[in-house]
Amino acid sequence: MKNRIRTLIAAASLALLAGCASTGENTEETAQDATAQQGVAGQPGQEAYSYPYGQAPSGYDTYDTSGGGLAAAGGPAGGRAGQAVSADRIVYFEYDSAEIRPDSQGIIEANARALNGNRRTVTQLEGHTDERGSREYNVALGERRANSVRQAMIAMGVSPQQIRIVSYGEERPAAAGQDEQSYALNRRVEIIY
Amino acid sequence: MKSFVKILGALMLLLGVGSLAHAELTIDVSKGIEGRGIPIAIAPFGGGAPENIAGIVASDLQRTGKFAPQPAGAQADYSVTGQAGPGGSRGYLVQFQLAGAQGGQLLNLSFDVPPNQLRPVAHRISDLIYEKLTGEKGLAGTRIAFVTAGGGGWFLVVADADGQNPQVILRSSQPIMSPAWSPDGSRLAYVSFEGRRPQIVVQEVSSGARRVVSAAPGINGAPSWAPNGQRLAFTLSKDGNPEIYALDLGSQSPVRLTSGGAIDTEPVWLPDGSVVFTSDRGGSPQLYRIGPGGGAAQRLTFEGDYNASPAVSPDGRYIAMVHRRGGRFHIAVLDMKNRQFRVLTPGGLDESPSFAPNGKMIIYSNGQRLNAISVDGSVKQDFVLRGSVRDPVWAPYSR
Repeated sequence: MKNRIRTLIAAASLALLAGCASTGENTEETAQDATAQQGVAGQPGQEAYSYPYGQAPSGYDTYDTSGGGLAAAGGPAGGRAGQAVSADRIVYFEYDSAEIRPDSQGIIEANARALNGNRRTVTQLEGHTDERGSREYNVALGERRANSVRQAMIAMGVSPQQIRIVSYGEERPAAAGQDEQSYALNRRVEIIY
Repeated sequence: MKSFVKILGALMLLLGVGSLAHAELTIDVSKGIEGRGIPIAIAPFGGGAPENIAGIVASDLQRTGKFAPQPAGAQADYSVTGQAGPGGSRGYLVQFQLAGAQGGQLLNLSFDVPPNQLRPVAHRISDLIYEKLTGEKGLAGTRIAFVTAGGGGWFLVVADADGQNPQVILRSSQPIMSPAWSPDGSRLAYVSFEGRRPQIVVQEVSSGARRVVSAAPGINGAPSWAPNGQRLAFTLSKDGNPEIYALDLGSQSPVRLTSGGAIDTEPVWLPDGSVVFTSDRGGSPQLYRIGPGGGAAQRLTFEGDYNASPAVSPDGRYIAMVHRRGGRFHIAVLDMKNRQFRVLTPGGLDESPSFAPNGKMIIYSNGQRLNAISVDGSVKQDFVLRGSVRDPVWAPYSR
């Protein structure tokens, strides 16, 4: 039920967005209506000059990328719409670290066994960080975490062809709080397949 | 219920973007200015134009932190008077005068504009006054871009520097991050996770035309325009770990500028074509500099164990960055002239610094909202926008 309400609201918001996109007439007029400016010249203490108003943005078309966007969507996680991943497919990390913790070995092993059991299964390892620090550096850190899990899985016999990696950095937190408990839940690699 | 509230917040923001663009918005800029400014009396503009020109000029000047706008007739060092009413060949005639305390006229200008240019003209008047009295170029007529998220959506927004007139130029059900203005202000490069994988997109702001410039396996991140607007630097990890690449926009294949097993990311260009970036090759993230074609890297930062997300001032003199100290993240600035390092913000979750085109202000995110601070630390601005707002970038002056 909760999901349904969410979908309805999302649909309503998209409809409204479409409405917003079409209210771009104002800005389009701006573009067509090139404006000139004249200084009042000739008297002392005055300035005379002109400049174009070309800087006014115009015609903001907006794009909805929810349909998969420009590139082919695909990928093993293509259909996942942000549902929570079960705890046995999440590997957690210490702050500023991409080292596999001893308590994560079991989770990685269980998933490696599943992947070894079916060579056609492809997993996507999604790296995440907490929100602290630079966003792009966090993308790199999230990838490093995903690579740690990848290396561990390969060491357990999983074929590199079965593993894909994407890092979202801090962009998709699992917990919204700004406290150590939430941060710990966000420093993770999700094993999606 | 929580997500419902979030979505409503996003909706209100977007409604503001659409039909209510000129009404009271859910977006506004508080006047969180420290310090006293030069008193300047601003009289209401008579004439009946549908924008409060004097009010816009007063809030623009107040926001600079250098002026203290006063009502008409108050004792002040300068005074502004004007008229804005129907007339001229385009619909409205706007005139204003700037005078010194002794009554000496400093500016006397008129503008012939259509109704939808009354707001830009007000900003232009603010900038003319600011430039006349301070000798610096103003920022009232500039724009910012930022990313906002809520209700499972991500939105790339371009707005005036006062937060008004926001326009969504991209909405996505997947993350959008790291917008970067082309040097002429006509295009934005950014990272989009549409299709659930990162790619670097260049979008023309006026037409909305988009082009994917990189969709390599792995990270496609941190785009940055070369000063000539012909090249983009960005981060790819297709060869195993994040490295800096430069792409000539006329060609298809990016050239790699860094190598090694460390994280190299967040490239930004100095005016001379060299590139500053973040690397953890020394064990912690620090800023380094390489030549236009790569080569040996020179380490730039030595304060503390976390310096990342560099931004270069338009003249190349300052590099702003995210600096960690005592577990808190601050915006700090390195003076390239004398290598002086200064922490500018009290800190917390500060990130994503970006210089204003006059080089005097730095806009950044504190994790939830946008703030701006002057490079000398004396002026602070607080942008109050609903929802989570991040990744601000100040647009350059238009051609």
